[in-house]
Amino acid sequence: MTAAVLGAAVVFLLLNLLTGLWRIVVGPTAADRMLALLLFGSTTVAVLLLMAQWLGDGALRTVALLFVVLATIATLAFVGTAREGGRA
Amino acid sequence: MSVGLLVDVMLGLALVGLSLRVVTGQSLFSDIVQFILFGLVVALSWSRLGAPDLALAEAAIGAGLTGALMLMAYRRLVQGGGEDAVRIGPRPLLALPVAALTGTLVAVIGLVALGVQRVAGAAGDRVLEALPGTGLGNPVTGVLLVYRGLDTLLELAVLLVALLGAWAVSGDAAPGRLHQVDRRTPLVGALLTSMAPLTILIATHLLLAGTDAPGGAFQAGAVLTGCGVLLVLTGTLRPTAAAGLVTRLLLVSGLAAFVLIGVGAVALGRPTMTMPGTWAIYLVETAIMVSIAVTMTLLFARSRGLAPERS
Amino acid sequence: MSPAEAVGLALVVVGCGFYGAGTVGLLRFPDVYSRLHALTKADNQGLFFVVLGLGVLAGHWRVALLLIAIWLVGLVSAAVSAHLIARHARRSDRRHTSRTARP
Repeated sequence: MTAAVLGAAVVFLLLNLLTGLWRIVVGPTAADRMLALLLFGSTTVAVLLLMAQWLGDGALRTVALLFVVLATIATLAFVGTAREGGRA
Repeated sequence: MSVGLLVDVMLGLALVGLSLRVVTGQSLFSDIVQFILFGLVVALSWSRLGAPDLALAEAAIGAGLTGALMLMAYRRLVQGGGEDAVRIGPRPLLALPVAALTGTLVAVIGLVALGVQRVAGAAGDRVLEALPGTGLGNPVTGVLLVYRGLDTLLELAVLLVALLGAWAVSGDAAPGRLHQVDRRTPLVGALLTSMAPLTILIATHLLLAGTDAPGGAFQAGAVLTGCGVLLVLTGTLRPTAAAGLVTRLLLVSGLAAFVLIGVGAVALGRPTMTMPGTWAIYLVETAIMVSIAVTMTLLFARSRGLAPERS
Repeated sequence: MSPAEAVGLALVVVGCGFYGAGTVGLLRFPDVYSRLHALTKADNQGLFFVVLGLGVLAGHWRVALLLIAIWLVGLVSAAVSAHLIARHARRSDRRHTSRTARP
């Protein structure tokens, strides 16, 4: 039962991930697309943690920690480099 | 349909769908963002498949390096050529046949691999049997450093050659100023203060844990690269035109340590490229980690050296 | 199912609910700033409940501590990212037209 609920939660969060794609495709400005990256990052961390408990693999928590520490790098690269215009 | 199967199907569809979108999309920027998402889904897939070492490496490199590299490359394209430089042209005619061919090849290999019977006494089983004798608990590290050390050595050489190639291509010109976020921007300073030491901590943990649990030199090196990238992106480390002595020493330290220990093992009366003990494994792993981190940070900063920013 | 398991799973489900809310906000709100606002708040809150639920399910204090640490780091990371994106959006808004939704 626990495994089923955890698995269902993973499925739900994956659906969230894929729905965020819509904002990437549509979102008028580059900032909208980077915003979707925020969603991906946060959801991926949750999925990793859920999988750690569901599959019984503690190493996945290390993956989640590592990921959350490095998550800002893409935003930093985007903000630092995209000087003018948000029309990307 | 069990939940596990549902997750697998979703991950599989996401992988295929995202890769299709990335190569057929019409807006380069949105394709880049989707590629970053693709990297995340790959990391999730490795996790689902029970390969945390691969998930660690993929998460570190995908989150910390690839995305930032592509976004910066996009920026340079727009700077250099305006909007036309990032317009996606018509698909070349060969694209579909090549894709079909590659897909068939991969599918054939995959199906064959799936159909192979497990043979008792195969290499994998031998590795697992002999592992306790090496003092290691993680079979991945065992294979990388002990059983296939030569491959790892050559991989390190390849990484170094890649860096030298990048240097050769970029020539002697002084490195352009990387567009970076000013450290005085609100919150960025706080981010650095909290994240940079955390990456060093995590890298050290991965290095030390790698002998018994998922982790190891490559993953630790990738995390340290993330630290380096953070410092470069925020202007704490400035690209310089020449590589200092310390930089050069650090770059070759991984290769050098591995070769020294591998050759030195002969002096201790063992075959070449064996590890004389767990101390050797730690030493080589640390050197590899540092080398990888310095190499990849230099590749990211596209310069020959890095110096702290004096401000 | 023990009470602890039930509580843990309930917390995880609540967390997923917050994630769902965040995604709805991302898709439905009219402009970048409101989307940013909805997304970061909801997602971090969702992560909190998921972490809480998983901590209860794991049953070991070391694991729970690690999970809380991951959440805290996630907070910092999300806060900085969101701020930087908002700042960038504001700058490019000032340069082009005004794109904020009418209040």
